[in-house]
Amino acid sequence: MAQIPSLDHAPINLVALREQAQKELIQVLSSVRGKKVLILDPKLSGPLALIAQPTLLKENGVENLYHLSADPVPSECKNVLYLVRPRIALMKLISSQITQDNIQKLQKSHTLVFCPRRTIVCEKVLEEEGILNNVTILEYPLHFIPFDEDVLSLELDTAFKETKVDGDLSAIWYLARAITLLQSQFGVIPNIKGKGKAAVQVADILTRMQREQNPDTTAAAVTPEIDTMILIDRQVDLVTPMCWQLTYEGLIDEFLTLSNGAVELDPSIMGITQPGVKKAKVPLNSSDKLYRELRDLNFGVVGQVLRNKATSMKQDYNEVTGGGPQHQSVSELKDFVKKLNALPELTRHTNIAQHLSTYTTKSKFLTRLSIEQTLVEGQSYDISFEYVEEMIHRQEPLTSVLRLLVLLSLTSGGLQKKHFDYLRREFLHAYGFEHLFTLSNLEKAGLLRKQEAKNSWQNIKRGLKLVVEDQDDANPTDVSYVFSGYAPLSIRLVQQALKGGWKAVDDLLKLLPGQSFDKKQGVTPDHGVPSREGSVREGSVTSDSAPAVDGRRAVVLVVFIGGVTFAEISALRFLGAQEGMKYDFVVATTKLINGTTLLKSMVEEG
Amino acid sequence: LFLRESWNSGQSITVRQGSALQGPRVKLIEQAAELYSQTKDNSFEAKAAEEHAKLLKVQQDLEAATGQPIFVDSSISDTIRTCITLGNNRAAQRIRTDFKVPDKRFYWLKIFALATIKNWEALEKF
Repeated sequence: MAQIPSLDHAPINLVALREQAQKELIQVLSSVRGKKVLILDPKLSGPLALIAQPTLLKENGVENLYHLSADPVPSECKNVLYLVRPRIALMKLISSQITQDNIQKLQKSHTLVFCPRRTIVCEKVLEEEGILNNVTILEYPLHFIPFDEDVLSLELDTAFKETKVDGDLSAIWYLARAITLLQSQFGVIPNIKGKGKAAVQVADILTRMQREQNPDTTAAAVTPEIDTMILIDRQVDLVTPMCWQLTYEGLIDEFLTLSNGAVELDPSIMGITQPGVKKAKVPLNSSDKLYRELRDLNFGVVGQVLRNKATSMKQDYNEVTGGGPQHQSVSELKDFVKKLNALPELTRHTNIAQHLSTYTTKSKFLTRLSIEQTLVEGQSYDISFEYVEEMIHRQEPLTSVLRLLVLLSLTSGGLQKKHFDYLRREFLHAYGFEHLFTLSNLEKAGLLRKQEAKNSWQNIKRGLKLVVEDQDDANPTDVSYVFSGYAPLSIRLVQQALKGGWKAVDDLLKLLPGQSFDKKQGVTPDHGVPSREGSVREGSVTSDSAPAVDGRRAVVLVVFIGGVTFAEISALRFLGAQEGMKYDFVVATTKLINGTTLLKSMVEEG
Repeated sequence: LFLRESWNSGQSITVRQGSALQGPRVKLIEQAAELYSQTKDNSFEAKAAEEHAKLLKVQQDLEAATGQPIFVDSSISDTIRTCITLGNNRAAQRIRTDFKVPDKRFYWLKIFALATIKNWEALEKF
């Protein structure tokens, strides 16, 4: 089980948020009396591990825990509790299990808990399967899951695809709901800025939800703890997730898959060679002090930092052993022992970093990286085209090919017409015709297209200074260090929103998909003006919001609709740590992603 | 037009989930190709569906000839690879011309396939 991150240093009280989630989980569990077996949607078990310790389940009568699968439930327990996302495929599985139980005349009681809420479609399926009357249906309103002191996620892994391809807006609704709940806890957020279609959609639903709330009990009574919210539709910046993340945390995610704040490591990586040792789950969050220091650094400097740590520890050791006991004061010894406690962390990260460097030193990785970088710079269409062509011919992993293909399309304003048909055909020939649907998904989401209008990438790149030359990755002065020279478009938008406002770059914003807006909501109770929930004024507001007067830094909630990468989070942390920065950043998203996982959701399984 | 498009994709989805019965499946795909070709914007899809149907037929023939159920539902590239691995160069060449496989791709496939069966001699000659 993943270790739950400590949230003590969070800029807003996330512990309360987590406790709320725990409380509601207990409520759900105790709604079924006595001992029970819990059958969990595999997609939910990771997020739940970040909410509650396994002991909490036991304390509330859960005897056994299984993942929902096609196999029958291997338990005699009379009370069966399902906790699932409202997905149709899962309804079918559950139905067949319950029908099986009924046929065998096992007197079981079944409870079905939807997370975050029941849907009509799912109930319809249950009805068709003829079991709707045999189950008790409950809801577990789990919304934002705190992943770390400054990261919240809904963990809806297909949110981007659903909104952009299927036209299913439930993720938008869930997000708005989660933000509304956040506001009821931390106050109405006075400033809202947004860019992109989904941002507009979320803001609209937010307004509506506020209007529907009873004014006396609303968030209006709470002094706002969050000063500004910036909503960014992932569609506005698809380039960033397609690039290899070059921070320590980002690379761990790219190569080893960081899921739910933990990474599964092969024992061989950790230097254990005896056979039979299972994969170990290593939690990675800011409770690990060394990781906190390393995670946001460019990977190029991580090795050096680790080396320095090790050397200084060795020195301390030599001093302690060489000096003889008479020269050591007890407090010095105590300091040393304290440092020794950090040793397992040091070993762990040295091992991980070493393992990562076996990837990053490969020529294949370096070639790919340089292709990506020239693409972002908007150069060498032809070379990149040939590279992608060869990848398809060699049948390299599907998502890896798509990532570069998409990047090529995004940065060149689409593929040239002859190439568009040619590459699509080659792609289908190499990977199978069922991927016709994958291609059409990519087109619907704006990830792949034919060159039509003028390529605007050059203007965007220049206007927002996305490519920064001569950046010293060891002593960065700009967020572009997270991609060794490319500053994420999304982060530049955040910077611009806080400094000077979006009005100043209106021309550039128009080149990006979707509308942008800047509005204020509510009025702080301090002013004694009756609150006006819902009456949101559009535009015309000075965008440079004043920092909090009491010397505390204002909290900015950056919401990425459709997913955020670790490198972008690192970039925001970097901004927050800058001298003279008036803001603390908290990131909220529908899902922590990277280019590969984002594209995987687009791939249609044959 | 909108309606037809959505119907197209619906149709295609049934094709995708297609039964193991190969006969009706080919027919369904051909139908989809027909539908795609009725709209102007879907010529690429129409072509792809056409080729898909053709590929399935070729694969069925190959399975019948070799007695091994390893062809259906693999891609064109995979099929060529499998043919070369089995030493059936003639079939590989035929697919190459039938589906207008560019030389570059064909040579990569050939190299990979020959390397898989460790046929270094042929690789040398090639």
